[in-house]
Amino acid sequence: MRDIVALLEHHGYAVLALIVFLEAVGVPVPAALALIAAGAASAGHHLRPELVLVSALSAMLLGDSLLFILGRQSGWALLGFLCRIALNPESCILRSAESFYRRGRTTLLFAKFIPGINSLAPPLAGSMRMGIGQFLRLDFVGACFYTFAYAGFGYLFSGVLVAITRQVQAVGRAVEWLLVVAFIGYVAYRAYLYWRHRKYRVVPRVQVQELASRLSSGEAGGMTVADVRSHGYYDPGATRIKGSIRLEPNNLLATVKDWPHDQQIYLYCT
Amino acid sequence: MREATSARVAHILREHGFDAYVIHGGLRAWTKGGYPLEPVPSDDMVLLPTFN
Repeated sequence: MRDIVALLEHHGYAVLALIVFLEAVGVPVPAALALIAAGAASAGHHLRPELVLVSALSAMLLGDSLLFILGRQSGWALLGFLCRIALNPESCILRSAESFYRRGRTTLLFAKFIPGINSLAPPLAGSMRMGIGQFLRLDFVGACFYTFAYAGFGYLFSGVLVAITRQVQAVGRAVEWLLVVAFIGYVAYRAYLYWRHRKYRVVPRVQVQELASRLSSGEAGGMTVADVRSHGYYDPGATRIKGSIRLEPNNLLATVKDWPHDQQIYLYCT
Repeated sequence: MREATSARVAHILREHGFDAYVIHGGLRAWTKGGYPLEPVPSDDMVLLPTFN
């Protein structure tokens, strides 16, 4: 905290704007802490509170607008990418889209207080074709909530914060342990994914050259090429392997129950 | 994990007696190899909700 206050005192509003902007575009930097420090610096007359608010709000709206445009341009690819780590990627996109559609407007007001959601809400709004005017209005209100909450806290409790910084050494030790636990958790998660997918590694693979050769050599009669992608079917203009069919993984066994067992089925995703 | 969905579906199909394979590299490898593609038919498209 003391470092951030010193940094803000020396470099002022540009540093605050940079930190807030970076967090808005998804970089894990402590913007809330910077806002609290800026609020405390304002109370100590090192910064002007109105300029703190203007620089923070401008940076936040700029970052959010960039992600909104990215979501609009990339369609569902961004959500598809994020859903790749979900337990059920096939239904993740649909569930996420429907959930945001129901609560999207409210979500935009409070998303900034929720780590992980804060950077996801603007691109989702873009993907779902929310009007730019409506997005900016809702995002501005949400940004005001966030900025006033943290900067206001710093402004009102600047005296208490000075006392808190004396405990920073002890907190730093706890943070180190937290990082170690987080790293172990990440390694364990990767190990779990490796274990969960071990049985799938024995499924035989075919190279694209070999498949193309088989398809063009007249063997295609006993072959089915099936597309099991999750997000490829949400974007207008999406393409697939010529002659392939859609095979919905969530409805798999019902779909194939009448298929002959003597054919070869070639499956692909992204 | 790459090919997670296709490998999982192929595994299930093989458990049910089908002769299923995974296309190594998926659509990306197919496209990179310059093999033929086609637009996804409109009947197959899944419509997600939008705000407009």
